[in-house]
Amino acid sequence: MSTGFATAFSEITLVLFTTLAPSGAVAYALMSLPIIRGRLSDDAHRRIDKALCIPLIVSLVGLVASATHLGNPANALYVFMGVGRSPLSNEVFSAVIFLAFSGVYWLYSFAVKPRWLLQRLLAAGACASAIACITAIAFAYSASTIVTWDTPFSPLSLWTNALLGGPVLAIVGLRAARWKSRGNRFGRLMLVLAVVALAACLVVYALQGVIVLPAENAVASAGDLVPHYALLVCVFATFAAAGIAVDALSLFRPSVSREGKASPDEMTISVSRASVAALLVLAGIFVMRFSFYMMHMTVGISF
Amino acid sequence: MTQYGFYFDSTRCTGCRTCEIACKDYKDLGVDFAYRHVYDCEGGDWQMQSDGTYTQDCFVYHVSLGCQHCDDPACVKVCPTTAMHKDASTGLVSVDEHKCIGCGYCHMACPYNAPKVDREKGHSVKCNGCAERVAEGKNPICVDACPLRALDFGSIEDIRKKYDGVDSVPPLPDASYTHPNIVVKKCPAAARAKNVAGLVANPLEVM
Repeated sequence: MSTGFATAFSEITLVLFTTLAPSGAVAYALMSLPIIRGRLSDDAHRRIDKALCIPLIVSLVGLVASATHLGNPANALYVFMGVGRSPLSNEVFSAVIFLAFSGVYWLYSFAVKPRWLLQRLLAAGACASAIACITAIAFAYSASTIVTWDTPFSPLSLWTNALLGGPVLAIVGLRAARWKSRGNRFGRLMLVLAVVALAACLVVYALQGVIVLPAENAVASAGDLVPHYALLVCVFATFAAAGIAVDALSLFRPSVSREGKASPDEMTISVSRASVAALLVLAGIFVMRFSFYMMHMTVGISF
Repeated sequence: MTQYGFYFDSTRCTGCRTCEIACKDYKDLGVDFAYRHVYDCEGGDWQMQSDGTYTQDCFVYHVSLGCQHCDDPACVKVCPTTAMHKDASTGLVSVDEHKCIGCGYCHMACPYNAPKVDREKGHSVKCNGCAERVAEGKNPICVDACPLRALDFGSIEDIRKKYDGVDSVPPLPDASYTHPNIVVKKCPAAARAKNVAGLVANPLEVM
């Protein structure tokens, strides 16, 4: 019996896209929250502005990767003819809107005297479009003929993945911006959000395994297409938990400034350490996105 | 509009692949592509009886399939560019290669395994019902090539009047998903078969 490895491997760029872009979008939205809220000093505002390029680049890498799987990108503008009808068109359209808001925001932040109200509006637009973009990606696989994808677990897993990867990526960005919050509450809150999202991911994957894996058509069964599903979930959980642990070991430590004085508002983690944590979590998500493409099977005679 | 469709007689088909090869020859396809496939459906088992003798209920039959040019095609529904479209006058589904981006979503969504992405050409490829031959009043090449006359083609209204048959037989999916324009005459083995994994015995050949 054939496995779905070849299918997933041939769509490896989409695996990468659905790993990076949703997490990058959530991280962007989370990092924008202090800007939208206001009350930032000029210096802190500008540092966050610059650091926003981190989630933006992560999302962009995913989007560029997704474009490389196209057979003929020269016809890409025709994609907009399907907006509202084709889930894929909706996905691309919403991603373009998100990139427009976030890209314009980032470029405008280099202005000598940026208008903060305009920046807040752009940041709010980026947040809203990030949510729309993730939702569109989550529902891009809603085709009634694809029996293993047209389930509530496809959008749920994508959203919970984004809520897992986004906060740990936001920690990298906010630490790079030397962001301070009272008692480092923001950083710790991000980690709590990631832990809750990881738990939700595991519930979704367990239910998906029980409900979707027994599906079969005349050429394959979902269980055969993803033969080591439980092992893959364990690998995901291990990577994600390790990433969260790397963050937690530092963030739940009392803050000490460079001068050795207590500074309870600083993030007690280095950028490199936070990056390692984010990479671990994203690696875990990548494993489950790979398994998602392995699981592709229609109601008919294909997988 | 005259909606065209295929008829397939599974009581006649011997699985000789002449339809498939005639299509490959006519469309000048390489080794990696075929717009029509013959699915070998096998099942059954041998059972030992109490007196030591064996009985069996083994079966084999073949199903030759191109595109079903469905009324509600999954490939057209998901296509982001409208490259995959139904012809307004014949209802035949084909790819506009000047619009197709080769994303492969049509291939993923079609439950009949019809469209594929040709990475060298950069766009999807599939059975177009030999639209150019149909325009000349001819049959698709597979229909004329079949030595057993197991295939027929025409207005689906006429086909349904002319032949008794069904629109789904294992390994095909339930017709309610895409409303295929095909009429299949069931052989006795097909009537007993069930859509379970392993029914198609030649997945590596047809995938």
